[in-house]
Amino acid sequence: MDLENEKIGPAFKAPDSYFKESESRLMQRLGIDITQLTGAAVSEAKVVVPVAQPVSVPLDTTGVQKRARKQDPITSKSVGINKQLDEVGNVEIAPLTFTTNENPEWVNFGAIPEVESALETPLDQQIKKVSYGDLLNQPPVENPVAESPVAEIPVGEMPVAPSEIAAPIENESTHELNEKASELISSSPVVEPVVAPLVEPVVASTDVPVVADSVVIHAVPESVGLDELESYITVNQPAPTPTKVDVAPEVVSQESAATKLVEEKPISLEAPATAFAPIAGRQKDTATPGWLGVAAALAAIVAAYFIWTAIQPPKLDQEEVVLQQDEATVPETPLDEPAQTDTIPDGLQLVEPLIMEAMPKYKEPNVYTIIDAADMPEKTKRALQDLEDHGLATFDMEDELFEELDLESL
Amino acid sequence: MSCHGIVSISHFDIAIIKRMSTEPNQTSLHTHSQRLMNCSEEELSLELLEVGVGPEIFAEIVRRYQRPIYYHCRNLLVSHDDADDAVQNAFIKIWQNASQFKGESLLRTWIYRIATNESINLIRKRKPTIDFDEAQPEMAEMITEDLYLSGDEIALKLQKAMCFLPFKQKLVFTLRYFEDLSYTDIALLTSTSEGALKASYHHAVKKLEIYLNVLR
Repeated sequence: MDLENEKIGPAFKAPDSYFKESESRLMQRLGIDITQLTGAAVSEAKVVVPVAQPVSVPLDTTGVQKRARKQDPITSKSVGINKQLDEVGNVEIAPLTFTTNENPEWVNFGAIPEVESALETPLDQQIKKVSYGDLLNQPPVENPVAESPVAEIPVGEMPVAPSEIAAPIENESTHELNEKASELISSSPVVEPVVAPLVEPVVASTDVPVVADSVVIHAVPESVGLDELESYITVNQPAPTPTKVDVAPEVVSQESAATKLVEEKPISLEAPATAFAPIAGRQKDTATPGWLGVAAALAAIVAAYFIWTAIQPPKLDQEEVVLQQDEATVPETPLDEPAQTDTIPDGLQLVEPLIMEAMPKYKEPNVYTIIDAADMPEKTKRALQDLEDHGLATFDMEDELFEELDLESL
Repeated sequence: MSCHGIVSISHFDIAIIKRMSTEPNQTSLHTHSQRLMNCSEEELSLELLEVGVGPEIFAEIVRRYQRPIYYHCRNLLVSHDDADDAVQNAFIKIWQNASQFKGESLLRTWIYRIATNESINLIRKRKPTIDFDEAQPEMAEMITEDLYLSGDEIALKLQKAMCFLPFKQKLVFTLRYFEDLSYTDIALLTSTSEGALKASYHHAVKKLEIYLNVLR
């Protein structure tokens, strides 16, 4: 190729858009406003503004997609937009939030603080169990339900008719209730009992405070036997009234204040209950002894060691390697002789035995050793010579016929 | 300009004479920017010397020399990004140092020199231990992977072959072969004698011919 006479163009070709972009970038870096340059010395003078002209040819809209489409986020399919359907209304679903990673079975709801409740009494004390029979019997107003702690709820908050007050389950046996309920049902089978809405009973506050033992029943798992049932029942007994002792009123007041403080802030060495801590007494000790895990870990380590050693490639003894290196450094053949290399390619080595079988086999020459060749008659020697000349036999004759040449005499 | 009694007229003097003869009509017909667009290189150089660099003159310089400077830097640096950086830096230096243009050479030569220096600075920044007397064959691998290629196979082969040239020979070949600069301008640009330039160019052409034959 003759470069002098054969002109070759440049190998690079940047588009005009790049140069315009580069020019505007440069002007921006230098703070030069291109638009203020009248006469358009810059390349924007060459920009041809297309003039809008009326199109007389009607547009061919065949095959043009007329409806807008959108992609379904779930199926990833493209579906047409139906405005009538889409404009019906958008429903926003609040995001579902979960604040625990614990198994809900073990969530101690009793430890949840009552901050969220606007009521003064704790939520668990406001819950009242009402049986079906109680609703049917319509117990009187002077029912001891007034003694329940729920009675402290102000009337104004939950106005309820006194007929809707239900009796607590603790006051009547379940057997009697069931009997009454069955009698009622059998006497008037047609009339369906109207179940009053479950509203917490409200009793007008009395001047005399009524103190009663309230029983708190915890949730009992099915596996708990009857003998263990008592441990799940906690009786809130009222604080014992202090006995009257002849003590000075100041001392009594101090003591009462001190006891009040102690009652208000009981000292507990246990960790405060958290909302998601397991309920005490529900955790069971594992039946597996601890040493079994240690033994399993040791067995796993030993197995891993054996596997690792089995995977490793065989190690060469260091001495053997050194010996091989020494041997490799000593040339077996003299330097003046060409090193023998296997010139057969790898591919031909595969078919080498086939080739060797097909070729005529090389036959070892018949070599005969004749010790006393000098004593042989001439005819025999000539006959042997003929045999050698024709390649039929080779005679190793140890006589003066094959004496070494005396190089010094030459 | 007179020197020892011999009167020599440079291209600037010719430009001044042309301008004096045409200025009244042109100023009445065209605006300043339009006149700059139509003026020759000598007139633009004179404008730069007399008035100094302003937005309009600088915009005209950019419009005229942006493309050749880009291709010159691209031939030297191969990479589009590097060439873009070199062009930007070169024009910023032109804007900042326009007062240093003395008119001893063509404006084009002065701009090419600045762009060449920026390319060399960029190469040194990328590879501080570079030896400009040696070739950089590793650049040949970048050519086909980069942006804005013409698609001409012979041109690409020539560009690859140029990567096997020492930088000085590559520079001389680029300026002479692609940019059609005269040996006098190249001598001014590279501060080298014309004889050395001709020898470098000859060596470069011969090497490239050999490379091209091998690449074929």
